[in-house]
Amino acid sequence: MKTLRYTLLVLVLLITVGPFLWELSTSLKGAGEDIYTSTPQLIPHQPTLGNYVRVAEAVPVWRYIGNSLIVAALTVGGNVVFATLAGYAIARLRFRGRRVVLGLFLSTLVLPGEVTIISQFVTVRDMGLADSLLGVALPGMVAALNVLLLYNAFRMLPDDVDQAAVVDGANAWQRLTRVALPAVRGTLAVVAIFAFIGAWDDFLWPLIVITTPEKYTLTVGLRYLSGTFAQDQRMIAAGTMIAFIPIAVIFSVLQRYFFKGVEEGGVKG
Amino acid sequence: MARTHRWFTPWVLIAPALAWLVVFSVWPSINTLRLSFTDAKPLGGDVGWVGARNYTDLIHDGQVWSALVNSVVYMVICLPLLTVLPLLLAVLVEPRRPGIAFFRTAYYVPVIASAVVVGLIWTWLLDDRGLINNVAGALHILQHPLPFLTDRWLVVFSAISLTVWKGLGYYMVVYLAALGNVRRDLHEAAAMDGAGAVRRFFSVTVPGVRGTMFLVAILVSVSALRVFSELFILTGGKGGPGGEDTSLVMLIQQYAGGFFGDLGYASALSVLLFVVTLVPMLVLARLNSRREP
Amino acid sequence: MRIRNAAVAALATMALGLAGCGGSGDESKSDRVTGTVTLQTWALTPKFTEYLNQLISGFEAEYPGTKVQLLDQPGDGYADKVLSQAASNTLPDVINLPPDFALPLARQGLLKDVSKGSGVDLKSTYVAGGLSAYRYSELGSAVYGYPWYLNTDLDYWNTKQFQDCGLDPAKPPATTDELFVQAATMHAKCPDSFLMSRKPDATDFTRAGIPILSDDGKKFVFNTDQAAALVDRYRDAYQKGLLPSSVLNSDYQGNSKLFTQGKVAWTTGGATGLSDFQKDNPSLKGNVAVTGALDTPPLYVQGVSVSAKSRHLATATALAEWVTDADNQNKFGHLVNIFPSTSASASDPYFAKDDGSAEAHARVLAFNELKTAKALAPYELNSDMQTVLDQQIALALKGSATSRQALDDAVAKLNQMLSRQK
Repeated sequence: MKTLRYTLLVLVLLITVGPFLWELSTSLKGAGEDIYTSTPQLIPHQPTLGNYVRVAEAVPVWRYIGNSLIVAALTVGGNVVFATLAGYAIARLRFRGRRVVLGLFLSTLVLPGEVTIISQFVTVRDMGLADSLLGVALPGMVAALNVLLLYNAFRMLPDDVDQAAVVDGANAWQRLTRVALPAVRGTLAVVAIFAFIGAWDDFLWPLIVITTPEKYTLTVGLRYLSGTFAQDQRMIAAGTMIAFIPIAVIFSVLQRYFFKGVEEGGVKG
Repeated sequence: MARTHRWFTPWVLIAPALAWLVVFSVWPSINTLRLSFTDAKPLGGDVGWVGARNYTDLIHDGQVWSALVNSVVYMVICLPLLTVLPLLLAVLVEPRRPGIAFFRTAYYVPVIASAVVVGLIWTWLLDDRGLINNVAGALHILQHPLPFLTDRWLVVFSAISLTVWKGLGYYMVVYLAALGNVRRDLHEAAAMDGAGAVRRFFSVTVPGVRGTMFLVAILVSVSALRVFSELFILTGGKGGPGGEDTSLVMLIQQYAGGFFGDLGYASALSVLLFVVTLVPMLVLARLNSRREP
Repeated sequence: MRIRNAAVAALATMALGLAGCGGSGDESKSDRVTGTVTLQTWALTPKFTEYLNQLISGFEAEYPGTKVQLLDQPGDGYADKVLSQAASNTLPDVINLPPDFALPLARQGLLKDVSKGSGVDLKSTYVAGGLSAYRYSELGSAVYGYPWYLNTDLDYWNTKQFQDCGLDPAKPPATTDELFVQAATMHAKCPDSFLMSRKPDATDFTRAGIPILSDDGKKFVFNTDQAAALVDRYRDAYQKGLLPSSVLNSDYQGNSKLFTQGKVAWTTGGATGLSDFQKDNPSLKGNVAVTGALDTPPLYVQGVSVSAKSRHLATATALAEWVTDADNQNKFGHLVNIFPSTSASASDPYFAKDDGSAEAHARVLAFNELKTAKALAPYELNSDMQTVLDQQIALALKGSATSRQALDDAVAKLNQMLSRQK
């Protein structure tokens, strides 16, 4: 059983990480080595970390990372707090209009946002937030998807726990923070990951909101590496790897919370 | 249930999220609906009402029909695959095992891989002289290479495999969080009754994550109907020969984007997309609510 | 050094001479050149940060009391960036815009007509091809940008593949006809190698003398028998396997990617192309021959425009002229293989001197080519329209439609798109 599991794990691994390995290997290739070969060469023949150094010399990577972290923190905070509140209310509190609200959140999921980007920018500019990191973060601080994820998680909690707390005289806020929240930590981690990655990877929106080059987020700032007459694929790959590291860190830190609370249980394979 | 809170409590909790969605999502969409009856251009200028012209044009636009057909095929294939496979993957990586965190993270990588690199690797796999055709040729499975990237339907199927590849990790994460809520005692009871892994999967795991499966099914069908990047990557942004390998979102991007955009027409396409995505969502939401007490 | 000073002197004289007869430029006469203005460039930092900083400090020294804020934008998404700036009234004072971006902005009255109130005589300062790129038939005689740097395409040939596949690397094709012949030779010897890797587009019609747009600019007219025959020729070549199947999907950069990978033996590219290919794949070094473009060389123009709503119009105009003046352009051209749009730069010996290096050879070739280079597709044919044309031509190459049918469909769709524009 154990061997089977690991065989399967490795098999899926091979399918998923191909592009990542290619990027990693390109970022480590020396200047004397071909990048575009008819069969991708994964092992660099002249491995070097020089491309990473050159990225840091070419663009203010740390400043961009700082900007991205600010935007990501605002986005994660907004989603965790506001989506929790809304998700809890819809899932656990009975009130008139509850179904309508739920339907509204569901339908926002399918509202096409493709043509609204310029009108959104005009809104943000009217708020005086053009060319600011808050303006970049603002529209993404609550996503309907996250409200629904948390609604779904809260709904799965057994009713009797809640009722016991009501009998004990706990009000809605206490029931949320003491009873419900600890039980949905896994979903909160998922929401945080989705929000973080959404904010971290977004390109077009920060490009439009920000105009001053020093304020760009990492995803936008790294595009300076593919400038006019200045394309260097090795540096671009190194930049992509740099942008990837924080995501990997966040993911591996948060993934352990998926099972907090029921850690010892789970499906035995 | 007894009265457990004051009447305004839920509204206070919902207010911020609701305000956000109205300002950044609902209001712009109402604006889109309005624009769909105009000849608006991205750069402004005079905006004139054109009545239903954009909608009648849309009915006569062959590309719109190709896009609709592609979307439906896309959804029909993706829906079962991406509702079930990520759950199996989640079960596979759920238990604590040495190195399991590494696998969980690695499986998420396709979600965040850059489109350029994904395009590069997948074209290398699917090209006429790509890995798949070369291997199939060497093994004498194929006499002639399959035109994965230039045939009307093979492009759609290639894009679907790309979507599944990306979606595995994404929905796996959603399932992982839900699996945490499956009651451990149920598993132990079932194991005690002598149920094997497969039986327990169907009798304990699936019922435990049913709500999440519906949510995932909704998300999968919505995003299948809104497919963009996969087709864009594989056809070099061109939508294939004759523009038949396109999707509604690709068309919207094409008409809305750039200086020469036709915002009115793009808006009409958006409204069509909204209506089309609403259908599976309503069906699934109805199925889901039927099992609610 | 002497050249540079001479150019400055010539320019100063010109500016002085013109100040007296400044035309109808009331605003530039009444406004003083002072205040803070923004200059937006397209993907030039970090490689040219030093050049841009020198350019700016030179301007600030020349006009005391001015300050220039540089806003260099990344290469990707520039159209969306400028579009959102224009739509939200936040255009920078001086903007680097290629002619096809400037046209829609000019249509909306967002750009200043620089033929009026300029400090320089446009006609004598800039080369005709550069200037006409910013003059649009539908907008009369107005000019909506100062031409900045120019470029053209050269042909790059993989000499190793030529040798291996029965072709003479010293005699690559010089015309499209020869290209087809040599492509067949190569395919016969090496079925897995390709010489050709691009499908025909509007520029090929222009090269063949087929008009793209009607004279009044209102209709596309390239669905002729001659054009159909041209597409037929490519279709036959494609069916015979002379082109890789990926051409059906590729964009105009597609063939340079295949060339870098060593999958095809020919690509077009700017005068900077060689170093780009070699940077990505060093094994190409010494295996690439460079020749002039087939038939008529294309002309690519970059320019800077002035926002009509600038609060310091005089300063912005002066800055745009400063950026595009002969001396500053020559300096830029010495840093990278691009070419100044100023007439005075023709006498800069740097561009005409072949010191034997491959880079210099490409530079001289391109510099000479610019004398006959033309814009090969009308700027009215925007990128969305090119996509439509591309889709139809792919259909014809594949054999799913006749060439004539594909061109008729493309023209019908393009005319519909054109009529929807205001």
